[in-house]
Amino acid sequence: MPLIIDRQPAADTWVRVDSEEGLKQSGDLLVDFALWLEHADQLKARDGRLGVVIDGDSELDPLLSDLDRLALVAVAFPSFADGRGFSLARMLRQHHGFTGEIRAVGDVTWDRLRYMARCGINAYDVPAERYSDDMLSAFDEITVCYQGAEDDPRPIYRQS
Amino acid sequence: MYIYNELDQQLIEQRAEQFRDQVRRYLAGQIAEDEFRVLRLQNGLYIQRHAPMLRVAINYGLLSSQQLRALAEVSRKYDKSYAHFTTRQNVQFNWPALEQVPDILADLAKVQMHAIQTSGSCIRSVGSDHFAGVFADEIEDPRPWSEIIRQWAALHPEFAYLPRKFKIACTGSRSDRAATQVHDIGVHVVNNDAGEQGFEILVGGGLGRTPMIGKVIRDFLPRQELLAYLEAILRVYNLWGRRDNKYKARIKILVQSLGVEDFRNRVEAEWERIKGGELTLTDAYVDRIKADFQPPAYDANAAADTSYAEKLASERDFAVWIERNTVPHKVAGYRAVTLTLKDYLKAPGDLSDVQMDEVADLADRYNFGEVRTTHEQNMVFAHIKQADLYPLWQALGELGLARPVVGTINDMICCPGLDFCSLANAETLSVARQVQERFDDMDYLYDLGDLSLKMSGCINACAHHHVGHIGILGVDKNGESYYQFTLGGSAAEDASIGKVLGKSIPLAEVGDTLQKILDTYVEIRDEGERFLDTVRRVGNQPFKERVYAANH
Ligand code: SF4
Repeated sequence: MPLIIDRQPAADTWVRVDSEEGLKQSGDLLVDFALWLEHADQLKARDGRLGVVIDGDSELDPLLSDLDRLALVAVAFPSFADGRGFSLARMLRQHHGFTGEIRAVGDVTWDRLRYMARCGINAYDVPAERYSDDMLSAFDEITVCYQGAEDDPRPIYRQS
Repeated sequence: MYIYNELDQQLIEQRAEQFRDQVRRYLAGQIAEDEFRVLRLQNGLYIQRHAPMLRVAINYGLLSSQQLRALAEVSRKYDKSYAHFTTRQNVQFNWPALEQVPDILADLAKVQMHAIQTSGSCIRSVGSDHFAGVFADEIEDPRPWSEIIRQWAALHPEFAYLPRKFKIACTGSRSDRAATQVHDIGVHVVNNDAGEQGFEILVGGGLGRTPMIGKVIRDFLPRQELLAYLEAILRVYNLWGRRDNKYKARIKILVQSLGVEDFRNRVEAEWERIKGGELTLTDAYVDRIKADFQPPAYDANAAADTSYAEKLASERDFAVWIERNTVPHKVAGYRAVTLTLKDYLKAPGDLSDVQMDEVADLADRYNFGEVRTTHEQNMVFAHIKQADLYPLWQALGELGLARPVVGTINDMICCPGLDFCSLANAETLSVARQVQERFDDMDYLYDLGDLSLKMSGCINACAHHHVGHIGILGVDKNGESYYQFTLGGSAAEDASIGKVLGKSIPLAEVGDTLQKILDTYVEIRDEGERFLDTVRRVGNQPFKERVYAANH
């Protein structure tokens, strides 16, 4: 699927793993949350970078102590109407100091990119049929921000 | 009135262009129907029974005369030369073409108006007291705070896809004219024992299928923490509010299922993490916003006028109007005036383009160019010099905006119902006409005292029927409009949810039913007792017996 990282089209170097079989592969693995919970120790011991896919139902506490072992957290947006991922991403940055890649996966389309970016998501896994190079303009459609967020923590009254 | 700076202006212009592009991509087949639905709703655009409906924000009900003229112009240019003022102080156009909505938004942006978040599962426009700045007992004008909340909420990146719509109202006085207890969040300006000013915060009020009164979750919040605290509440709601069932998705259900204590703990824990941070309000910002809401330049000699007393003594109709439709102002020689948008046999809340232009002219002549909308679907001129009351009354009379019915059942709040709304189960406008025709004896209405009648065409409760002293809910019975009555609701500081009287009643019998309820009240009321208090004293039973007697 087309990938955007830091507002540029990018190649995906990660292998998405959603079954135990897949855990044996080498390289950078992006693992579903349930698999991570079960195999965290084994995963931490292997070479190659690690990522975990979370969603609004994930109980994050067990993951938080290992955040510095992760290069990537993928936040799932199961549908365009499900906005929990925005808060999840913000909390990863704001409360847990996560500095790695946060990638939106699932229903990731043009009209949410800017909000995602403001919430600290810097990579976007866009379904092929919804991707166009034009959508990169989404980030600059609106340039005024009343609120502080993860792109710039200053609300309007602390800017300038 | 808040004066837009360059950035405020830039934002609404960019938002209008963004929507233009969304419409373009939708029409080109690049956005699916259900996804576009969410996008258009975030810009106030519904698809209604007959045509799209565009809801434009009137933030905390405050309009300039110039903005009102722009609304008149939009109604002429793109619609059928009228507009509907709503129970959330906003305005709706019922007949715009989808393709023209981006142009409408561009036109509105020129007068600092927009449709941002007037619908959809996001933070809606902020409600406030339509008599802000008028009464001496006000702790503080709530509108600067409403504006501060508006700015924070506008295009908030984290809260654009909430489980459900989210409504905030702010008031600066103990008297609640903004129905704050039936909002998702109610913000009350209060003073604490140390004499510091801050806010009392209520959460979880709301109407609809499961009406509830909001609960206090913090009795004193330091003022500079307002936005941090709101952000904490919204974050808790965004993460834990139900998304699997739209009837259980409002924050009131989350508060109920967690319990107030657990909900409060989650909010306070989140607030602990962010308080004292960047969201903390700065004095410079608060002062800048407040500067735009300074009182107008009142005439110090206003009270010296003698013509007002003469007219009061000599013209009974004028005196009646003063009594019903105006209230005293804290500044001597001034009164605040309600313009009743309840003309005889007209749809409540509707104004024609001509009326809008004329009201704008009157606002310029008599009211410092300011117009307010109320959640009773009326308008307010808040600062009328006593010498101007008589000519204003005459002018409003010609426009059909001076019916002396404020606080009577003729001042009925009524949603558009089956005539316009695609969600409606029943007619409302014909019922409103039936009520007006039946109860047109003003002396009788005045004798009934304060009585609010609110009617919604479906359980979405846009007309807040649960909190009417008398509420009427339209239901559908095999394709026929039927009406369920509730008694004893209130949206004021003594807020309560009305109780259902009994089984629903067919369209033709609404007037009779109302008559029976009122007759019962007149018979059993104590001296000077309001309808609401009688119902609270005796319950529904006596009313029920009378209404359903014939059917037994
Ligand atoms: S209460 Fe129902 S019928 Fe009336 S406007 Fe709201 S949704 Fe439509």
